[in-house]
Amino acid sequence: MSMAKESRNSEELMLADLSHWEIGPYHGALPGQMCLRLTLDGEVVVSGKVETGFLHRGLEKAIEIHPWRAAITYADHLDPEAAVFGELALCLAVEQIAGYQIPARAVAIRAILSELSRVSAHMLHMVKVANSVGAETMIHYVLRDRERVLDLFELLTGARFSLSFLRFGGVRNDVTEGFIERVLEACVLIRARIKEYNDLFTFNRTFLKRTSKVGVITPELAKKTGLTGPNARASGLPMDVRRAFPYLNYPSQDFDVPVGRGEGGAVGDAHDRFLVRLREIGESLGILRHLAESMPAGDFLCPGVELDAATPETVALQIPPGEAYARIESSRGLLSCHVISDGGERPARVQFGVPSVAALAALPEVLKGIWIEDLPVVLSSLDISLAEADR
Amino acid sequence: MSAESLGFSPGTPEWIVSIVGLLGVYAVVIFPSVALMSWLERKLIADFQARVGPNRAGPAGFFQPIADLLKLLQKDTRYHWSWREGLWLAVHTMALYSTVAVIPLGSSLIFVNTDMSAFLPFWAALVLALGTMLLGFSQKSVNGWFGGVRVGVQALAGALPALVCMLCAGVRAGSFRWTDLASSQGGLPLGWTAFSNPFQFVAFVVFVASGLVLLSIAPTSGGLSRIDLHGGVSAELSGRRLSLFRLGRFYVFFLWSVIAVVIFLGAWILPGNLAEIISQQIGPFSLAVIELVCVLVKAYALMMGVVWLSRVVPHGRVDQITNFAWRVLSPFSLAALMGAAIWAGWRALL
Amino acid sequence: MSDLNDKPGTSIFSTTKNYLVDILSGFHSACGSFMTALPYLFGKGDLRKEVTEQYPDPISSKTADDLPPRSRGLLFNDIDRCTGCKSCQKICPTDCIQIEVDQRPDSAKVWVSVFDIDFSNCVFCGLCVEVCQPQSITHTRNYERAAYGPKELVASFGRGKITPEQKAKWAAQRERNGEEGIMSP
Repeated sequence: MSMAKESRNSEELMLADLSHWEIGPYHGALPGQMCLRLTLDGEVVVSGKVETGFLHRGLEKAIEIHPWRAAITYADHLDPEAAVFGELALCLAVEQIAGYQIPARAVAIRAILSELSRVSAHMLHMVKVANSVGAETMIHYVLRDRERVLDLFELLTGARFSLSFLRFGGVRNDVTEGFIERVLEACVLIRARIKEYNDLFTFNRTFLKRTSKVGVITPELAKKTGLTGPNARASGLPMDVRRAFPYLNYPSQDFDVPVGRGEGGAVGDAHDRFLVRLREIGESLGILRHLAESMPAGDFLCPGVELDAATPETVALQIPPGEAYARIESSRGLLSCHVISDGGERPARVQFGVPSVAALAALPEVLKGIWIEDLPVVLSSLDISLAEADR
Repeated sequence: MSAESLGFSPGTPEWIVSIVGLLGVYAVVIFPSVALMSWLERKLIADFQARVGPNRAGPAGFFQPIADLLKLLQKDTRYHWSWREGLWLAVHTMALYSTVAVIPLGSSLIFVNTDMSAFLPFWAALVLALGTMLLGFSQKSVNGWFGGVRVGVQALAGALPALVCMLCAGVRAGSFRWTDLASSQGGLPLGWTAFSNPFQFVAFVVFVASGLVLLSIAPTSGGLSRIDLHGGVSAELSGRRLSLFRLGRFYVFFLWSVIAVVIFLGAWILPGNLAEIISQQIGPFSLAVIELVCVLVKAYALMMGVVWLSRVVPHGRVDQITNFAWRVLSPFSLAALMGAAIWAGWRALL
Repeated sequence: MSDLNDKPGTSIFSTTKNYLVDILSGFHSACGSFMTALPYLFGKGDLRKEVTEQYPDPISSKTADDLPPRSRGLLFNDIDRCTGCKSCQKICPTDCIQIEVDQRPDSAKVWVSVFDIDFSNCVFCGLCVEVCQPQSITHTRNYERAAYGPKELVASFGRGKITPEQKAKWAAQRERNGEEGIMSP
């Protein structure tokens, strides 16, 4: 191929009839800023290398040089598509150190927010998959309904994306008037819409053709690379942090953990990953309805915690010295947060363990043998967030 | 074509008539069709997708295509001019519009009407598809290269079923002359070739589908794939060149729809003896206009159906598309040809 | 779209059957997709209305009044209330607030000479509003701040820098009054 990019071993490649193509760091098919170095045999990928780090913002370092309260805002930007999970992981860890007892109402508000985030993030995943196979109408329908969820965020927190709503010891405000009713309304609406998506797209023959047996992740590979969340569940590993290491009020919630059943042809293919997320939306809607119907009364903030600084000198919150680790189930998998406090005005160390890194680790193995046209499908179905992976 | 019927004085030289006719087809049919269809497509698809669509330029955004054209004309190209790309685009465009001579648009608006005239647009379509492939190859990018290969592969895969389906229509009409193909059909839907018998209907469906494969029209547009190749063949084109290319893409779609309408969907034949009445009462020029409108409306409807399909279903992968063309369209077209032949023979015996 | 199930050992009948079933199901699912979109064409029911709006049409698009009550818009600082305590500057995660204060002739108050908020950095997290004791900094309901360059995105609420002469004059005034500055130099 004359257009092949020169590479060090171009002679070898030519002898083997292979070509070399570098995609990225900016390309529409990629989930963000990353670079793929592909070796191609015609249009089939022989091997691929993944290079990341283009989106490194020094987020963990930035947390260390700012006051405790500002860490929430940075945790927000860990994964802009599902902001509340970063906040939640950080808050849970810090509250362990500080020993705050979170009121039941605040816990319920947090659970509502994280389930809404899961719904919106999974819907965005559906949009990405629909985009990668060129189904325009599906994109518009799902985005339209995701707007309803974002409207709820805006109603509760005042922002649509970086919510900055959770606080150490609770949440910033109580629920807005009419919020609970609108959550219930949205649950009904989205449940009705899922049927429409299924008619339009999920079991469409062409979509099945494009996604079934494409980008298969075997359970072994999932275990080897430490894959968690919907990606691992699609491969048949029923691991859910909400079940395995319960937090918030998930023990009292009744929900199923959907697992990939290989309806598209192989367990752990792109279609399974799509279906698992679609089913998780359904489960989340059930949790949301239960939470909204059984909203406990009471405070939204741990007693003794003040949100406004009494004096300019106490604007920086003081967290007692200690170390804590919290893990939650984000929309992409296991999100962990490790916090070390030295008792000062600023966190001594905050470290996030993110699920997208595992997906990136599995990627070179998944890329083998796929077509160039499958590349966007595989990348979008893995639902990688590079903002989260590069931090 | 009869020069007198279009208002030329009897002594006008042939070449003037043909040049004026060709330019007239461009100005009156092709360009307004592009504008109208792009507006209609955007408006209807917006409706399907719960959006508003163009609404600023003129009433209901009707003049949006003109605004788009003016904007695209003043856009700068992204890269420096490369003679290779320019040459291929020029050749591509010229080949594209040469085929306007073989489009039948009414009983009097036929430039070329020979015994084999139905095959001319077919070969023209093949030339256009392979021209698009070469345009892709001429670009200095992997996107264009892959796009070109995909377009070429699809053109080869779609050619056989398309050709066989054309034979089906010819078997029924007993000729490949445009006028014979048209006059073998009736003015009402039941008299159209596509609905005359089940085999012809299969042939019609396969003909349209294989045209989409042959010409890389969405949803089978792997070579122009937006998401993985940034537009494939058109990845490096921008501004005026891109608008020229897009115009060409629309044109091949239009060409194929018009052929499908003429050979399968009743062409320009009006119900009953309406044509004679119009010709005698109002005049041959009005008849030509009405026939033109008849063909165009059917072609637009067919195009809208395809566009609708392409927007609701996912797009196929190129190997699946060629697979589909070879393994589904080809056998079905051959079966349709056998059926159509037996049907025609049976009717001849009766 | 169809694919042959070329499994070894299958009979020609089952292969043919699979082939035809494949084609039929492809046809069926394409029709299903077609029909799902059809009701939208006629705009049937509330669920299938157009949802996009003609921004910035004042008639149909959302205005500031339609925003939810807690909406976090552009920041505004009421300089008459501001005490120049710099809490907001201290808490700001993106360091987008720049404050400079000077002493006034009457030392009870400070002269906030510079109070700049750089909206190109601001993430609208609302922490500054939360910690502001005199409640001078607030979110407005305005969210439209397109500009041609990052410099235009800096909003200045300060009273303006004072000249050295003015500074000296005020210091002398303070000395006359025998007051000590509330601020350490």
